[in-house]
Amino acid sequence: MSNAVVGLTPAQSAETSLEQAVCVEGLRLKYPGEDRLMFKDLSFSAARGEKVLLLGPSGCGKSTLLQVLSGMIPRATEVPMKCEVQRVPDSWGYVFQDPDTQFCMPYVDEELAFVLENLSVPREEMRERMQAALEEVGLDLDELHMPITHLSQGMKQRLALASALLLEPEVLFLDEPSALLDPEGREQIWSAVKAVSEGRTLIIVEHRIEEMAHYVDRVVLFSPEGEILGDGPPAVIFADYEQELKSYGIWYPGVWKDYARSPAGKELFAPIDGKDQVAGNRLPGDGGTLPDVLHREPVIRLGAFRGMRWNKPVISLPSAEVYPGDFIAVIGPNGAGKSSLLLSLMGLLRAEGTYELCGEKVIQGKRRKVRKERERKLRQIGFVFQNPELQFLTERIGDEVVYSLLVDQMPPEEAQMQADRCLERFGLKGMDGRHPYQLSTGQKRRLSVATAMARQPAVLLLDEPTFGQDARNTFAILEMCEQLRCTGTAILMVTHEMEIAQRAATHIWEIREGQLTSSMPSPRWSGGTESKRHTVAGVNGAADTPSVISAAHHHHTGVSS
Amino acid sequence: MNIWNPVRITWLHRANPVVKLGLIIGLFFMTVLTHNLDFVMYQAFVFTVCLLVLSGVKPWKMLLFLIPFLLAFISSSSSMMLFGKGDTIWWEWGLFRVSEESFYRGLHLGFKGIAFASEGLLLVTTTSSVDLFYSLMQKLRLAPKYAYSFMASIRLLPMVWEEYVIRRQALKVRGVLPIRGIRGIVSRAGLYVVPLLAQSIRRAHRVAAAMEAKQFDGDGAKSRTYYYPFRYSRYDLLVIGLLAAAACCAYIAAGYFPWFGIGDVRFD
Repeated sequence: MSNAVVGLTPAQSAETSLEQAVCVEGLRLKYPGEDRLMFKDLSFSAARGEKVLLLGPSGCGKSTLLQVLSGMIPRATEVPMKCEVQRVPDSWGYVFQDPDTQFCMPYVDEELAFVLENLSVPREEMRERMQAALEEVGLDLDELHMPITHLSQGMKQRLALASALLLEPEVLFLDEPSALLDPEGREQIWSAVKAVSEGRTLIIVEHRIEEMAHYVDRVVLFSPEGEILGDGPPAVIFADYEQELKSYGIWYPGVWKDYARSPAGKELFAPIDGKDQVAGNRLPGDGGTLPDVLHREPVIRLGAFRGMRWNKPVISLPSAEVYPGDFIAVIGPNGAGKSSLLLSLMGLLRAEGTYELCGEKVIQGKRRKVRKERERKLRQIGFVFQNPELQFLTERIGDEVVYSLLVDQMPPEEAQMQADRCLERFGLKGMDGRHPYQLSTGQKRRLSVATAMARQPAVLLLDEPTFGQDARNTFAILEMCEQLRCTGTAILMVTHEMEIAQRAATHIWEIREGQLTSSMPSPRWSGGTESKRHTVAGVNGAADTPSVISAAHHHHTGVSS
Repeated sequence: MNIWNPVRITWLHRANPVVKLGLIIGLFFMTVLTHNLDFVMYQAFVFTVCLLVLSGVKPWKMLLFLIPFLLAFISSSSSMMLFGKGDTIWWEWGLFRVSEESFYRGLHLGFKGIAFASEGLLLVTTTSSVDLFYSLMQKLRLAPKYAYSFMASIRLLPMVWEEYVIRRQALKVRGVLPIRGIRGIVSRAGLYVVPLLAQSIRRAHRVAAAMEAKQFDGDGAKSRTYYYPFRYSRYDLLVIGLLAAAACCAYIAAGYFPWFGIGDVRFD
């Protein structure tokens, strides 16, 4: 402690300690089992009332730094560390990433009471303080005694913020509070944060920074090695370190536009002229002659299709067709039935109505023979769940893909060769021997997609595969989907990301309250025809992408003039 | 949790959970130490009636919940009847030997099971886990770290179930074929246990970090205030009186209206 203030007179040191809300100097930290130091002589401080955003690639130690600054390391989590100065704020609050693992009590009031009990607040004052905190974060509940499970994910995060506020924090630490939220929830949590930040110091770690990039006073950019690369006002950092922001996969404002301009992005978002496609070569590189195309059958045909849970229809589609080479983005609010649609197509939920897959009827029924037959047919569909870990079966990365192929009765040598090729394509080569759980989140996701794609299914269903992923991983997943689409696989992807729906998908299905309310070609599909403007406006106001709208508008006026 | 939602709030709901817990443990001991068939039968009857009246749950729902216990009654009593020791043989066929003693002991065992179930359900249906742990902290000085870790883990249980369902679906999607026999069961269990455990441990760690961040001090029970205060009230006396009266009723009924009248069922 004394080392750091050697050069200062007592008066000066008192002054700096007054100004600084948090401070750490000469920090060295190493997780047990890791080869290298996470931080090597890192110094960081934030002034009172300052709003600081920490940016950097996954795994660079931003979250760890947040825990050190709050004193959670080493007080609560024991990690070997050493530093010259560690100034922990007197009062602080913390909001974590996962909305489901921040609470220990079943009801809203009980959870808030838990915090107040920790502070020994008399019981008579509790309700009043709870209400004040909820009001501050804009959480308007009819009844305080409400089960937390009834709240949406966005509301849960605001509840987490409210319980942090009960601590009357001088400093608020936010560890990717919006990473696992849909666009609506993201907006709500950030407006709540802005509303309560008055007079408080904010230290934020976040990948999705559209909402608050220009709200913070200072941005600190970390390198993959945990060193500070840049430190300054947001405008300066964003201008000076554009390349780093891109390569670290940060969702900086305009990331989609920049990607669309890159060679990979141009290919991925290349417009497809729907009208031409109907008449001629619908698939790039397909080279099909006209008669061939005319005979092209839909890979999925649905009529009066209903997916059931406990004998109640949770999703119904009057009629729908999916053609080879379609990339359908399934959008809609939470709980509308998007995932149920995928599950019932996959045969994991009971379904009713007509369902044809590759020209053959999928017969519903419980009889053993019917069921076996159905399962055999549905093997033509690949499925990627949201949590990759729950999909892994083997203890070696190399075996994961092989397993998928062996199930399809492929000879072992051929399966091994094909799996190797597949892993190489997904950038997972050379780690065959490791356990799937040892991969980074992005790699796990890639592996789970690889296991589904290796079998070259006729249809690939993906349930929010880009959820919580950084920009780089998101683009990587989209590129893989596009490659597969080009070979004729039909893709259905549930997503909250309007940019994906509009830029990468060929069609958009909107689901509300268990009904397919609209299905239309995406701006990409109609590639420069008049329907473009119409489509963009039609995507239920959630079109949080003024750039696309204006671009489409330009195009439209250009065409008409 | 919702299935237990009572339609009426009874005295039992209002009584202090600690008193109820003590009372139910007392009743358990009474049932365990009873060797008189009539007394046990009347206990089973009386406490089932108590359960129907005092749980506040709709009677048909409660009877539905009792079905598994009825099955337990049949299985435990029938196995005791068929295989138990005894001198007065009533019927014999191969391995099966029903004797008078084993028959009555079987009935005795079955009724004991029903009595246990009713007593346990009396506590479970009228006490939420949060109430129980709050009153244990306040009345029996249970350290908050144990109480809150229990309450937090109860909250995590539905998530484990959800993940189990997803895992089952994922295995189906990946084309895992069921292997028959014991080896199949073992390998199948491994496929579930490892990922679910990994997720749960990580989740528990995150919840613990969040609790620490909310300034939770597991040992500081002294200065802690409580959102739900638990005091002893007249309902505690009422409930003690009521359940004691129920036990007395069973005892007296067994004395005056014995159905079997065979006294101690133990075989010696």
